[in-house]
Amino acid sequence: MSSFSPRQCLAVVSVILGAALAVPAMASPPQLAIVLNSDEGSLSIVDRQSMKEVDKRPIGREPHHLMLTPDGKELIIGSTATNELTFLDPVTGEMRRRLRNILDPYQLGFSPDGKWFVTAAYRMNHVDIYEAGEFRLVKRLPLHSLPSHMAFTRDNKQVLVTMQGSNQLVAIDLATQEVAWTADVGEAPAGVYAMPDGRRVLIGLTGEDAVAVLDLEQKRVIKWVVTGRGAHNIFRMPGDETRVLVTNRVDGSISLFDTTKLEVIDTIRAPGGPDDLDFTPDGKQIWVTQRWRRRVMAIDLATRQIVATVNVGRSPHGIYINGPGTVSRSMSPPPEAADPRTAQTPPKASFLPQILAPLAPLLR
Amino acid sequence: MQGLIDTWVDVQSWILETAVHPLLFRFGYMTFFEDAPFVVETLMLGVVQIAVILLVFRPLERLAPAEHWPDRKLARVDVVYTLLSKLGLLPFIVFVVLYPVNDWLQESVRDYDLMLPTVEQVVPWLRDKPLLLFATYFLLYDLAGYLLHRMQHAVPWWWALHSLHHSQRQVTCWSDDRNHVLDDVLASFYFAVVALLIGVQPSQYVALLLVSRLVESFSHANVRFGFGRVLDKLVVDPWFHRTHHARASASKPHIHDSNFGAVLPVWDLLFGTAVYDYKRRPTGVDSRDADADNGKGWLGQQVAVLGRLGRAIIASFRPRRLAHPAE
Repeated sequence: MSSFSPRQCLAVVSVILGAALAVPAMASPPQLAIVLNSDEGSLSIVDRQSMKEVDKRPIGREPHHLMLTPDGKELIIGSTATNELTFLDPVTGEMRRRLRNILDPYQLGFSPDGKWFVTAAYRMNHVDIYEAGEFRLVKRLPLHSLPSHMAFTRDNKQVLVTMQGSNQLVAIDLATQEVAWTADVGEAPAGVYAMPDGRRVLIGLTGEDAVAVLDLEQKRVIKWVVTGRGAHNIFRMPGDETRVLVTNRVDGSISLFDTTKLEVIDTIRAPGGPDDLDFTPDGKQIWVTQRWRRRVMAIDLATRQIVATVNVGRSPHGIYINGPGTVSRSMSPPPEAADPRTAQTPPKASFLPQILAPLAPLLR
Repeated sequence: MQGLIDTWVDVQSWILETAVHPLLFRFGYMTFFEDAPFVVETLMLGVVQIAVILLVFRPLERLAPAEHWPDRKLARVDVVYTLLSKLGLLPFIVFVVLYPVNDWLQESVRDYDLMLPTVEQVVPWLRDKPLLLFATYFLLYDLAGYLLHRMQHAVPWWWALHSLHHSQRQVTCWSDDRNHVLDDVLASFYFAVVALLIGVQPSQYVALLLVSRLVESFSHANVRFGFGRVLDKLVVDPWFHRTHHARASASKPHIHDSNFGAVLPVWDLLFGTAVYDYKRRPTGVDSRDADADNGKGWLGQQVAVLGRLGRAIIASFRPRRLAHPAE
């Protein structure tokens, strides 16, 4: 009968304990939606399984938009009335740090190469360009009026900002940090999306019922496509750049839009002034903020039906869905430096639980 | 409670989706789209206030009046002020004056790199306590209102405007909104500056805001009771505010320069302007010019006050100033 050495005994115990404890280690992170309640200075944490608001946390006032950092490790919230950025853990929604004196950070954006961080100050009429690493302000461009949404050109050279008050699209050269050109685009332009061909952009015209197609070489609108009254924001479908979703705030609908044919494929009913949205990791649902209804709604993309609504706070605006596969939809075009999908993949289940880690050398 | 909030939100959504937003879209005013929910909610609050005045305050005035009048003819014009203010004029002024002025001020200050911190940035402890933060702002804004009210009485030309509020001989629960349009605009401008200095007052606790506005209406009610000798040191009641509206007399020539507080009497107690003598006095002003407002309609009063304002401004350039035009 052979006997076990102490090292072998420890190895056996470790294997047994490891197997027993492997289940908790494999548990997925909580499936959450983080919603910014812009009129009450709070964020709601919604559990996507129970479809309930499980927590509400105070944050800087008038938080409107949020986005992932290019490495996907932090979620940035811009609080426009308290002039600050709040950085959260994108998985749990826990606060990590605050950065003050970022004036009216209404809309946020990182250039695809991760070099620049740009904010559009809707209330205070300026665009700020920061060096992304240290968030050091390098240029403030006063722009009238109501700089609203932004997108970066595919070549990283320009940031395009819609001016909701003066009905224009402003192109800012990132190298010189000066306005390169301006184009009249239509009433109350809001969401802007840089098309994959690198030549055209789509612009949601909230004062009209259409999306404008602007040619970047001609610097003018070449086509309008009717989507719905109050066309507002534009979101690319995860992993599919041929289709985008357009929220129509007055009509209370969302248009599924084909970017190759430049036509609406389908219209989804979405009452309550649909504004921002995000996709579930499996891409099957969108979660949409209903501004004045103080709710978020989950819509099944296959059936085009609302499957749930969840009460949150006053004037819910930005929304982010955590979990593996989450796409940083705020970044148009998608970031090159790092893909948040990989950054947020939950840690693989370890055969050796953490509490037994000190024993690892014995097993080698 | 959630059911009540849901009903409130559903009514607001219905108004927005069926009327306001389609109209804004139709007439090309979509830049105001985001502000529409606030305006609609303000109007809804106005409707609730009017309902409470009609269903609660008016019956109380009938039940236990402080002053008995043969009729309420003079009070009728104040109903017009209330309806205009709560259902249109005041939200309009706030929307057209306060918001743009606030943004313009902030932009101007930004250009000098002078962004003042908000209350929660000065006291970070308040960040995680939204109700306390709301209460702090409520206190500060009530103090700002108290100081504004002192200026309305102390600055001669401003008193010329504000005397309209005091000229009413029949002060009732409708009298709170009896103000000149220019006075409302000035107050909006003043509060825009306050917002710049300390930050914008949070507005998420709608029920509390509603209660505070109702306190202001009720403090004008023609009733002969108050909240009692303890509670009336915490919240302004009709006894307290009626003293502020008392007609000046030889023995009390400055009686209306007391009890300036709108919701909280604490500022009067702190600054020595509180008068708690529980005496019933007739209301109004002892200036013949301002007293002539009585009997005029809304427009007549607005025009008459402009004349008073002009005379007060001219008088201010004379070498010898009157201490108080009302006296």
